[in-house]
Amino acid sequence: MTETLFYRLPWQSSSVYPGAHPGQMIGAGQLFKRHEPLIASPDPRRIDLRASVLDPFSDYRVRVYQQQSTVNVYVLADMSASMGYADKQQTLLQFLLTAANSAFGYGDKFGFIGCTERIEHRWLLPACQHSGRVSALIKQLERLTFTGTANGLQNAAAFLPTERSLVFLLSDCHFPLFQLRQLLDSLQGHDVIPLVLWNQDEYATLPNWGLISFQDMENNATRTLFMRPALRQKIIAAYQQRQHDLKHIFRAFGSEPLFITERYSTQTINRYLQQRAA
Amino acid sequence: MNLAIDTPWALTGLLLALLPLFNNGMRASLAPWLTLIPADTLSVFIVCCLRLCAMAAIAGLVLGMAGLHRTEQRRERIGHGAHIVLLLDRSSSMDNSFAGRAPNGLDESKATAARRLLTDFVKQRQTDLIGVAEYSTSPLFVMPLTENKNAVQAAIAATATPALGFTHVSKGLGMAISFFEQQPVTGSRIVLLVSDGAAAIDHDSEQKLREWFKQQQVRLYWIFLRTANSPGIFDTPEDSRDDNAGAMPELYLHKFFLGLGSPYQAYEAESPDALKQAIADINRLENLPMHYFERIPKQDLSAACYSIATLLLLALLGVKFCEVKR
Repeated sequence: MTETLFYRLPWQSSSVYPGAHPGQMIGAGQLFKRHEPLIASPDPRRIDLRASVLDPFSDYRVRVYQQQSTVNVYVLADMSASMGYADKQQTLLQFLLTAANSAFGYGDKFGFIGCTERIEHRWLLPACQHSGRVSALIKQLERLTFTGTANGLQNAAAFLPTERSLVFLLSDCHFPLFQLRQLLDSLQGHDVIPLVLWNQDEYATLPNWGLISFQDMENNATRTLFMRPALRQKIIAAYQQRQHDLKHIFRAFGSEPLFITERYSTQTINRYLQQRAA
Repeated sequence: MNLAIDTPWALTGLLLALLPLFNNGMRASLAPWLTLIPADTLSVFIVCCLRLCAMAAIAGLVLGMAGLHRTEQRRERIGHGAHIVLLLDRSSSMDNSFAGRAPNGLDESKATAARRLLTDFVKQRQTDLIGVAEYSTSPLFVMPLTENKNAVQAAIAATATPALGFTHVSKGLGMAISFFEQQPVTGSRIVLLVSDGAAAIDHDSEQKLREWFKQQQVRLYWIFLRTANSPGIFDTPEDSRDDNAGAMPELYLHKFFLGLGSPYQAYEAESPDALKQAIADINRLENLPMHYFERIPKQDLSAACYSIATLLLLALLGVKFCEVKR
């Protein structure tokens, strides 16, 4: 039994299918939307007598209600080599499973777009409601070793539907800021929820003293550092500055990022989602 | 600095010195994105130093294996001194004491005294070129003119071996003079003849020796170790019948030397003390400025290469212990 993500939409879904989120369609619902002539929605049970009397054209007015609609939920995952660091891949898979189960629980369609160097078909899951396909995908992803860069993210928008969807962007954002701007630019038609996966081991738990040789996971460049408290502070400060820059860019595109630096926990994400909907 | 190599093909191993450029020899820990880690000049400097250390260590080992050495060199020097050829008599009578007996514990033999005093003499004459020749039945080439005092002292010490039969002074002198051939004429040239007897010189040899002494501008010092009761070089014969080269070879040899035309001094030493006095005399007299080339022998540098490589390797090992394990 997995936990559920309580994602709520602060906007109206344009989907025609009834679901769990505020939508643009009218139909069976609780929330009054507007009056319509009886011809337009022939439901005599919903005739509003008071509105009909007040109508200057003496037409029957019918109350129509907002229909709860489905929304397409996509997980857009960065599958570059840096996402293979420590437990990031595990976090990604856990989130993928939780999000898929939540979407199916809400009756929404769930899709997955995995981006490596480019977008590969085997890491694409079109919006669907088959939990079997999701678990098959997760099994495949468990065996995969992430390699290369996340350049495929730039083309991800082409694989999303044209109507507004909910997009969870899972990445460590270890690519140049202009790429992030381009990516967010291309995703502007959608509701993007950025989840930034970082790990404490990257910067916070470095030793105070000693020689350490780092190898970049994406381009294999190596750098040897002579660690000392001042350099450690500099590295931590650099990560904090990066976090600040990322927040700045995400906010410029209307979304607040969630930095996941500790162990993955659905509760943390839920708290964040509820803050967002409020 | 004329450096040379014993086995030049081993230098191909120097290519191995490029290895540290490709491999820093440290266990790499993965980093998701290095661009985020700020540039650090001190680290870059330390890494460069370590690379250079590693390259130098490999190069040192390779050069050591290839046998790096400094070739023999000549250093020009100017000093006060002389070119001296010690011409030692190796006739068996030299092994007797000054009293003409086989040496017992109390008195030393003439050869031993000469050896001891000449060794001291060589020690005092630090800037001289000294060669050693000996003669008995025939001349013995021992040591050419050299500034290496250890070699000369060893050559003098080598006369401790038992002596041979006869006294063939003319050939010995000929060899001593031949030492000066192909040597530049600087300072003074001395043949120091140490003998305890003489022999007649035949006419042809006399002629040649005269010529050579003139040609080579050699001064002659003769230290005559006189045995008690034997004729000296300054004695005049009591009987005119004894006044010939066969009966009194010492006197006739002396006369011949006087007539050479080149500077000549004879000392008659009847005891070790007199011998010492004679040598001190020569030591004082012969101090003309001279110009010569000192030869510095080949120097093996592979040991230095190995020790430098060891030091560097130890330093690198120390650094290895400072490596962070993650």
